[in-house]
Formats: sequence, C-alpha cells, structure tokens
Amino acid sequence: MAEFLMYFTNGLVIGVINAISAIGVSLIVGIMRVINFAHGELYIFAGYFSYHLSLTFGLSPILAMPLSVFFIFLIGILMERLLIRPTYGDEMYSLIITFVLSIVLQNSALLIFGPYPNKPPALISGSTQIFGLFHYGNQRLLSFGISIGILLFVFYLIKKTWFGKSVRAISQDREMASLMGIDHWRINMISFGLGAALAGSAGVIIAPIFPVTPTGSSAISLTAFVVVVLGGMGSLKGCVVGGLILGILENLGAAYVSTMYRHIFAFIILILVLVFRPWGLFGQKT
Amino acid sequence: MLEIKAIDVFRGEAQILWNLQMKVEKGEVVTVLGANGAGKTTLVESILGIHHPKKGEILFMDEEISQKPPYLITQMGISCVPEGRRIFKEMTVYENLEMGAYPAKARPLLKTTQDWVFSLFPILKERRNQIAGTLSGGEQQMLAIGRALMSRPMLLLLDELSLGLSPKITKGIYGTIRKLHQEGVTMLLIEQNATMALLHSQRGYILETGRIALQGSSQELLGNEHIRKAYLGM
Repeated sequence: MAEFLMYFTNGLVIGVINAISAIGVSLIVGIMRVINFAHGELYIFAGYFSYHLSLTFGLSPILAMPLSVFFIFLIGILMERLLIRPTYGDEMYSLIITFVLSIVLQNSALLIFGPYPNKPPALISGSTQIFGLFHYGNQRLLSFGISIGILLFVFYLIKKTWFGKSVRAISQDREMASLMGIDHWRINMISFGLGAALAGSAGVIIAPIFPVTPTGSSAISLTAFVVVVLGGMGSLKGCVVGGLILGILENLGAAYVSTMYRHIFAFIILILVLVFRPWGLFGQKT
Repeated sequence: MLEIKAIDVFRGEAQILWNLQMKVEKGEVVTVLGANGAGKTTLVESILGIHHPKKGEILFMDEEISQKPPYLITQMGISCVPEGRRIFKEMTVYENLEMGAYPAKARPLLKTTQDWVFSLFPILKERRNQIAGTLSGGEQQMLAIGRALMSRPMLLLLDELSLGLSPKITKGIYGTIRKLHQEGVTMLLIEQNATMALLHSQRGYILETGRIALQGSSQELLGNEHIRKAYLGM
C-alpha cells in the first residue's frame, strides 16, 4: 500500500509538471493556431540554463530558476517576432518552421551542453515522512508546491486579467477581438513568450529531479501534445486533469508493468481518446 | 465626423468599391441600403480597418484612418455591431460587455457605461452570468449592441441589425436605436431591411455594385419610386 501511494505521489508530482508544460502548448495553439514543435527544446534549454547559472556561474538555485525561465520567455518572444509572425495565416508554414527549429535547437543543445544528462542542484535536501507511510524527497514536495503555485497564477491570469480576457477573446474570434481594440500582435507575442516560459518553468522544476538531456526533448513535446489532446484543445482544466492522468498512469505503469514501456502508456491513452472522445475530456465538440 | 473620400477597395483581385464617397455628421443616423453583394460589408470593413483602400481616404474626426489597423480605429472611437453578431460565445454576458470596454479610455467608465447598457437592455442584467452562446438570437443582438456601446464610441456601425430576427424583436431593437439617437449617438446603419432603417435615420445612401447609386434624406428615399420597387417591395 505504501509503495502504491508513493508511485501515485510520483505521478501527481509529474502530473502537475506535465500540466504546466501542456498549458504552454495549449495557450499557443488556442490563440495562434500554431503548434510549437520546439516546445520540448525550450524545456530542455531551461533545465540547462538553470544548471549552468547555478553551477558554472555560481548563482543560487533560487535565483537561477526564475532567471532561466525569463531567458526562455525572451527566446519565445524572439521566436514569435522573427519566425512565427511572418507565417500567420498559413498554419503549414509555422508547423514546418517550429519543426525545423526543434531539430536546430536540439542539435545546438548537443553542441553547447554536450550529450550528458545534467542535473542542477536541489533547492533543499532530505525527505519528509508522509502520513507515517513512506519517506518522500523534500525536493519533490517543493517542486509540487511550486507547480501548484504556477498553475494558480496561470488560472488567475487567464480568468481575471485584461490580458487573459483578451487571450480568450482572440482564441474565439481573432478579428472581432481586434475590433474590441485589442492589439492582437502584442498579445500574440506575449502569449508565445508565456507559452515558452511555461515550458521553461516545467523544465527548471523537473531538472533537479530528473536530469535533462538534449535528446529527451522530443518525448517532452509529445507528452505535452498528448496531454493537450487528452484534456481537450483550449481547456486549461483539461490540461491539468490530462497532465495528472498521464503522470499517474505512466508512473504506476512503469512501477507495476515495466519502466521500458513508460511512454507507451501515453500513446495508448492518446489512441483511446482519439477513437472514443476525439474532442478530449473537457474540449468542445464541434 | 466620418468622411469617405473616393475610395477604391479590393478583395483580393476583385474591386468591390468604386470611387465611393460618403459622409456622416455628428449626431446623425445614416442608412446605407444595398442588395446582397453590393459591397455593404466591405464598406463597413473598410471603415473598421479590416480592408485598406487602394485609393482615396477615410477621415474620422479629421484624421486619416484608412491605413490604420482595426484595433487603433476602435481605440479612436469607432465601434461596430457586426453582421451575425459575433459575440464571444464561450464567455459570459458580463465578460462580453467587459471586452467592449477594452480601450484604455473606456475602462475607467466601465461601471457607469455598464449601468447605462443594463438600463437599455434590462434582460442582459438578468443574464449577466450566463454563457453568451446560450442566449436567444434577439438577446445576442442586444448583447452585441451593448458590447459595442461599452467602448463609449463616437460612431457606431450597425451591420444587418435585423438579420435573422423576428419582426417583433426587430421593432424592439429599432426602438433602442431611436433612444440612442436621442442620447446623441452617431450611427451608420447598414441594412437590407430598408423600411425600418429609413424610418429611423435622417439620410440614406443606396449602394449598387460598389457605387453610390443614389443619396438623399430618408424621407425622399422612402418616397422614391425606384427604391420602393427595388428595396421596399412595394
């Protein structure tokens, strides 16, 4: 029982991180109809940034984490401005561009950071006993807490602020939104940056638990896409529920079936969803 | 207030508006009549900055706006009730109204403007927390008008106000247009429902294949033989 609960808790921790990463994808798809294939690379870069900022440049990990996310935010803004903006109106171009970019970034990561897994230092050490059942690493608990904080922040941003409302308006009717006085160029750019920053946040949160490698990025992008499809396009709630389901199933599957098949579970779920509920758990049936 | 000076507008390769000239003065209600394909919607979209004329100018408050993007034109004080209403269906009634008050000038007035809109359309107040997509057609039209008013526009464009609405609801909506006129809102009505529009406006333009075919006071136009045949079905 204690063992099961531990795997389940692992699933929850990974699940909320999945959710953050998936919301990044969902946000960009929702407003710009752009699928960012370089999502996983941004996630990996953030992990490496926080590793090098804290180990090579000697910054405290507490500073290195948000700073890495900020760098990724800037990279996202730059990407939108230079590469994505000229493609608006033709989804195929942006698809090809982000796909190519993902390959370029992955290989740059290999070149710059090398092929070895890197793990930034943990913020805290030790473990805590959970309900007297099992010991659980403090770093993981902290990661869980930070992730929940980020999710609440994103929900607040989208539901309550002018920025969030314009994001929702644009994703429903771009032209009408601009007739409300919304500068959708600016909102697009910030949203792309935010989507990238969410990938980055997931990256810096997970890196101290699971080291990042340049070649791990495709699996990260795919996981995020599976979560978005599972939860339903354009639904934040869907990203959270989808992320948790995937995180829990992958961890239980890895524990009780085989670690070898960890990623297979994601795709079995994806296929089942596409067959029986193609609009996802919380998506709108069209 | 609005002056369109000899514009040529293209959609892709096709020229839709030819040397079009018209004017709306402050406080006026002006009707543009035209059959399907006459270029009414293109005219609206040119004023709003969705299409940019290849030739000619559009002046709003003496400022040339024809090459500006839609969001700047809205911020300057033109707002629209588009054909087919196009409310934000997944948002609540209240959020739709809020979106209308997006321009920086309108935000501080949000509460007062909203009370004004609720006094014009009490039903919207009742339904303020309802998802806008679940409203009836007439209510959605009211919401679209309310949303457009939330920006405190100097000029309001109303495209095909009566489209898809029952005569009774159309009458109610035009009652509101009359009220808005009395409160001094300047409006441009783009309509197929000629009688209603002409009865509620001072001047009118007849648009035929992208050109102004006829213009005059609404009274004159209502009495014009050609218009009675072509647009009023009499």
